[in-house]
Amino acid sequence: MMSNLNSEEKVAIIDSFNGIEVYRVYADKFKTNSINIFFQDELSKENAAKNALVPAVLRRGTSRRKSSREIAFYLEELYGSAFDCAVSKKGEYQIIQFYADYVSDKYTGNNTNLFKDCLELLFEIITEPLLENGAFKKDYLEQEKDNLKKIIEGRMNDKVQYAVERCFEEMCKGEPFEIYEYGSIEDLNKIDAGSLYDHYKYILESLPMKVFISGDMEDAKIEYAIKMLKTLKRGNIKDLASPQIIKNVADTRTVTEKLDVSQGKLSIGFRTNTTPSEKDYYSLVVCNSILGGGIHSKLFQNVREKESLAYYAFSRLEKFKGLMLISCGIETANKDKAFDVIMKQIEEIRQGNISDYEYDSSFKSIKTGLESLKDSQLSIVDFYLSQKISNTTDTLKTLYEKFEAVTRDDIVAAAKKVKLDTVYFLTSK
Amino acid sequence: MEIKTIEYSKINEKLYIYEHESGLKAFVIPKKGYSKKYASFGAHYGSINNKFIAPYEKDVTAVPDGIAHFLEHKLFEQKDGSVMDKFSVIGANPNAYTSFTQTVYLFSCTDKFSENFNLLLDYVQNPYITEESVEKEKGIIGQEIRMYEDDPNWRAFFNLLRAFYKNNPVSIDIAGTVESISKINRDNLLKCYNTFYHPSNMVILVVGDVDPESTLKMVESSIKTTEHKPQIQRIFPQDESGINKSYVEQNLSVSIPIFQMGFKDENPNTNGVEGLKQEIATKLLLDMIMGRSSSLYNELYESGLINSSFDSDYTIEENYAFSMFGGESSEPLKVRDKIMEEINAIKANGLDEKSFTRIKNATKGRFIKQLNSVERISHLFIPAYFRGALMFDYFDVYDKITFEYVNEVFSKHFREENLALSVVKPV
Repeated sequence: MMSNLNSEEKVAIIDSFNGIEVYRVYADKFKTNSINIFFQDELSKENAAKNALVPAVLRRGTSRRKSSREIAFYLEELYGSAFDCAVSKKGEYQIIQFYADYVSDKYTGNNTNLFKDCLELLFEIITEPLLENGAFKKDYLEQEKDNLKKIIEGRMNDKVQYAVERCFEEMCKGEPFEIYEYGSIEDLNKIDAGSLYDHYKYILESLPMKVFISGDMEDAKIEYAIKMLKTLKRGNIKDLASPQIIKNVADTRTVTEKLDVSQGKLSIGFRTNTTPSEKDYYSLVVCNSILGGGIHSKLFQNVREKESLAYYAFSRLEKFKGLMLISCGIETANKDKAFDVIMKQIEEIRQGNISDYEYDSSFKSIKTGLESLKDSQLSIVDFYLSQKISNTTDTLKTLYEKFEAVTRDDIVAAAKKVKLDTVYFLTSK
Repeated sequence: MEIKTIEYSKINEKLYIYEHESGLKAFVIPKKGYSKKYASFGAHYGSINNKFIAPYEKDVTAVPDGIAHFLEHKLFEQKDGSVMDKFSVIGANPNAYTSFTQTVYLFSCTDKFSENFNLLLDYVQNPYITEESVEKEKGIIGQEIRMYEDDPNWRAFFNLLRAFYKNNPVSIDIAGTVESISKINRDNLLKCYNTFYHPSNMVILVVGDVDPESTLKMVESSIKTTEHKPQIQRIFPQDESGINKSYVEQNLSVSIPIFQMGFKDENPNTNGVEGLKQEIATKLLLDMIMGRSSSLYNELYESGLINSSFDSDYTIEENYAFSMFGGESSEPLKVRDKIMEEINAIKANGLDEKSFTRIKNATKGRFIKQLNSVERISHLFIPAYFRGALMFDYFDVYDKITFEYVNEVFSKHFREENLALSVVKPV
């Protein structure tokens, strides 16, 4: 039964030096290859905005290609290769990502070496920024500060996502996890060209790096990448603290926010009190799947299908920080009813009322999800990055074996460990 | 049974085609080594088909807005419960979507493909709709409509369509309104089903690591109808010349104005490869004029008038076509003026042939990238099929597009009198 998961996982660490780990993802079924470079920092008020701003400024130009326009022009010449950067948070870590992907040389119809071109472009962007008086170009800095400010203010525009993020934020007040991945406007305003350039050097020299090279390519290309990575000037590598996961919830908090909306959004946050590296974590994943992980789940079947209260209702885990969050979109007048129906579903799991259908479908759904990861290079990379970040060493195969060993009693135990923390309701004015 | 194959050696893909005697076509695109199998069963029927003359009838039937989408929800209901549960228990992810012109039922799975595929073939051909379940669905769809009411990008998009068109049903929300869906019942749902869900008006596509012959055999044995129905007469209002309004706005709780603007195409040539040519040429032009490597994009970006949310696209279907570009801006009117200025400058000075060649090559590369994903392939294939083209034709069409042709499309499409702007402003 597990033969599929077995056959095709070929992700290997191939080198590690100067705080840089290099991974190779072997995959020959795709028509593209990709290069991902990640820097990992602690999520902190001091660094969040700066970590978000550095890649935004870097992608604006290099000493050789002085504007984003020149970079875009060059990418078009490289047969529509893509390059971009991103910031995200995983638990209480902030991740800065630089990536490039490009079509395999066999489809260009020419004698190309797009791996080399894209790798060198990534390096150029990361290591040869366009400078002005020994710091970042002022115009670019100011424009990107303004763009970042708009991103931070623009969180409210997507109400589904906003209701999820606001609940997490309220729930984790005073903990690093409350910090938005793009930082705050207050901290952003303090940044100038000089301080950001110092911060850039801090990122490059001291943050742990993980590099993933994926696709179908010769060893010589990987060796070339390693050679280049070894030229990076690195200093003392920062030791990153682990997030605090166990938390006793004294009182449940209730937060109501009013905006001009037509639909209410109810989000309910829980502490799972479970770290990704302990055995209970696998039970928790199955528990979450039964509760709100798809159409087989109790939330879908009851909040949507039975009670017609919502179009969407789901639960999801933030595994790195030990949180579980339920969210749904409802008529504002139905808040109490929806809350009761949702809480009843958790109670049902705690009581062991799990049907065969829910139980079996959850395992199937988890398995399908894991197998499906293998069809996307970015998903494979994200899976292994997440393993590294949570200090776990699971592969797709071992992970599924651990899920398969989860019993009904384990699920009940996981549900009992989950503690209600915050109820957030976005409603109309 | 006869199976045809087409080999696309330049992109290393192969297409298997089977035509059932009812007129239904089924396609398989094998993707060796992929875990996911993605199967779709689609009807050439979407939200714009709100007026029609059914086969063997004389009178026009008008149905409530949102009924195609409502029917999509209700088809999952079967005599013994929801068919979703049956997929779920064998590990598949069933889904469906309704667009302006299509309704597509699908699943993805990594295991037990045949079982899942049989389920799909079976339930789409066997509706089981009760009055009671129709009423219950109104609550769920009502919340889906509410969700979209709060989505500023969706609002900016539909408001733009209403600015383009006064009567064309493409300007009506796909899900309808809470009011319009209240008029939906078992009878009008079945009427739509019986009219549009005939195999000859449908398509089947499987993308993934499957055996093409046995997959197509399953299609052969599961399609019960052999009868050829007369054509459905789809009734559309007369094509309106010009646009309805050049500017529309709405207030929502957003942090910054969100805008969409574009040019409406009159009498587009939408069919077959000609349609693909027009689509690709217009998209190339949008990239040349306002893409990431254009001077316009970079000027707007550097002056803070747009940010990286700015993007452009072109839509072409059986009786409408328009370009659309937008994002976030504190001054959408200024963006519009700058764009028009640039277009007028190009009209005076001509398009740049070097950019054309470079961007064409880049677009080909980006097309190949999409072939990495079984979902992307499916989502490109089905609309192209209903427009009379095969998705892989795109790749050859790139080579048929000349600089002269692009110039011709440019002069027809980018006309100021057909430009409309839609803005969603902060409350």
